[in-house]
Amino acid sequence: MMPDVEETATGEESGWRAPHPRVVVAAAVFSLAVAVPAAIALARFLAGRGAAPDVIVAVAVAAALLVVGAATVYETARRRTTRYRLTDRRLELHSGIWTKEYRAVPRERVRSVDVTADPVRRALGLAVVKVGTGEKHASGGPAELTLDALAVTEAEALRGVLLGGRAERPDDGPLAELRWSWIRYAPLTVWTFVGGGLALGGLYKLLDTLGFEPGKSETVARAWEWLTATPWVTVPLLLAANALLGLVGATALYAESWGRYRLERRPGVLRLRRGLLTTRSLTLEERRLRGVAVTEPLLLRLGGGARVTAVATGLRKAEENETEEVAALTPPLPAREARRIASEVLGEELDPAGLRGHPRAARGRRVRRALAGAAALAAALGMLDAWTEWVPAWAWALPVLAVPAGWALAAEGYRSLGHGLTRRYLVTRSGAVRRRTVALDRSGIIGLTVSESLFQRRAGLVTVSATTAAGEGRYDVLDVGRDEGLRLARHAVPGLLEPFVEESG
Amino acid sequence: MTPSLRLRPPRHRADPRAVAWWTVQALLAAVPVAAAAIAAYWLFTERPAWLGALLIVFVLLCAASVVVVPRVYYRTERWEVTEDAVYTRTGLLTRTWRIAPMSRVQTVDTVRGPVQRLFGLSDVTVTTASAAGPLKIEGLDEDLAAELAERLTAITQNTPGDAT
Repeated sequence: MMPDVEETATGEESGWRAPHPRVVVAAAVFSLAVAVPAAIALARFLAGRGAAPDVIVAVAVAAALLVVGAATVYETARRRTTRYRLTDRRLELHSGIWTKEYRAVPRERVRSVDVTADPVRRALGLAVVKVGTGEKHASGGPAELTLDALAVTEAEALRGVLLGGRAERPDDGPLAELRWSWIRYAPLTVWTFVGGGLALGGLYKLLDTLGFEPGKSETVARAWEWLTATPWVTVPLLLAANALLGLVGATALYAESWGRYRLERRPGVLRLRRGLLTTRSLTLEERRLRGVAVTEPLLLRLGGGARVTAVATGLRKAEENETEEVAALTPPLPAREARRIASEVLGEELDPAGLRGHPRAARGRRVRRALAGAAALAAALGMLDAWTEWVPAWAWALPVLAVPAGWALAAEGYRSLGHGLTRRYLVTRSGAVRRRTVALDRSGIIGLTVSESLFQRRAGLVTVSATTAAGEGRYDVLDVGRDEGLRLARHAVPGLLEPFVEESG
Repeated sequence: MTPSLRLRPPRHRADPRAVAWWTVQALLAAVPVAAAAIAAYWLFTERPAWLGALLIVFVLLCAASVVVVPRVYYRTERWEVTEDAVYTRTGLLTRTWRIAPMSRVQTVDTVRGPVQRLFGLSDVTVTTASAAGPLKIEGLDEDLAAELAERLTAITQNTPGDAT
């Protein structure tokens, strides 16, 4: 008898393996992002002190080499102390230069495998593998294991083995593939309007860090003078420039995030690939899927577009440098296409016409809330005016405009409200600005909440929420009639509510 | 006509001692606030009569909340555990009924704060895999709470799967 099958297993997958040697090169390249600005800042500083040119060059180059060298040494040490191994039962990882860490993920708990390669790593033939499980980490976030970085072939092989070869079987055509005509939906976000300003701010900050002090420069002062001298020409010009910049930025971002997009279903898994420069690929087990959400933010909705996200357990949170939600299944695309993809992922038709509307009282609540908001704005302005006498006359247009705008949003919010129950799913839709239709697998509902505020009680409405282990943890059916809501809750999870419901009248 | 539906209240209330505990909690919150209001009136104002009247009303409201709120709480907070589910009702202005099926319960904890211990009380927290937060049953007799937690834990341990 062997004492431990895992210890004695043979073959490549059982031995301890290190990250690919080229990670050191990648780290050196990344460190240039710090080294170059540092060298420039140092050079400017020395030039300001009147140092000789050759001294400046020598010092700047030395500083840059120091940063690159430190990064190389660090990465070498990290690579030497990082070891991973795939046994029959688990994926194990030893890591940490000073603080040693050991993590093991049982293979049957592996729920998603995420393979990402940014342009630098891609050029070097490397990819980062993130292995997600349904578990929660002690810190609250989902537990995941990151291998940074492996050779692309090794990463793909690991993914295949971890998901039991399921991901590698042939498929019957993709659920969706990018059509470049969809890029017309790219500018339909708020970022198009504020993106230009943000970019300018970023540039200012960068120049500031490099020691150029843009605030004090002659050019900026003159530009400001020119701006303020003829506002009727310059302000529209600036707004147009901002919109153009936003347009270009949003389109470029769409292309980079969603170029080569392809969504496939293989037996038991969904597989998503996307990214023009940084390639990302996510493989998601279907048994972790608890439904999908179709989101239609206001601008996108006006343009006839929508997007689909997955409601799944154990997905990690998006990191700061990521522009898309991890759960995103599609880019912004035509609403009809979004519904088709959602229906195919659900395995059931997602038909917005099949949703039931909510009582008129729900509209009244929204309108009253909008009017109260406008009134509060007017009251605040009045108080400010009484105390400071600073409020200009045009400011009073704000509460006046808030009335029709609020009213329109309230009516739109009411139109959005809807719910339905199909064989497998509880469907709920709401939201004026960000309308969202969620279809939640009824077998994935792990609790029900019914709540009734004082105002809702008077209007005969309740909010029914289904809690789930996936996504946001809780999906609401807002402002539904009390009887209808309780009936919905009763049928959504058969038997659960039964002992606690009473019939009367 | 289809019958009108309503959720019946869960069967059990908190332990009667919980009223005393909530009163102590209300005192701990209300006394410093009232004292601060009185002190501010005395030290930082010209002590006009109208403000004094307002202050008296405010202090009376604080006192009333100490007397009334715990009793209202006792009436509104209810709970029930059946073979199949945990059922709670909380809140006065916004009333919330929560139901967690036993098969989806992951952990059951009892929590006893320092003041609660003086009264021999305990909270029971029932956690599911949802990120929307646990169900909480407040102010139970500590023996009852321990027994309840044990019973729930035994049931959930016998449930297969990871309750997601």
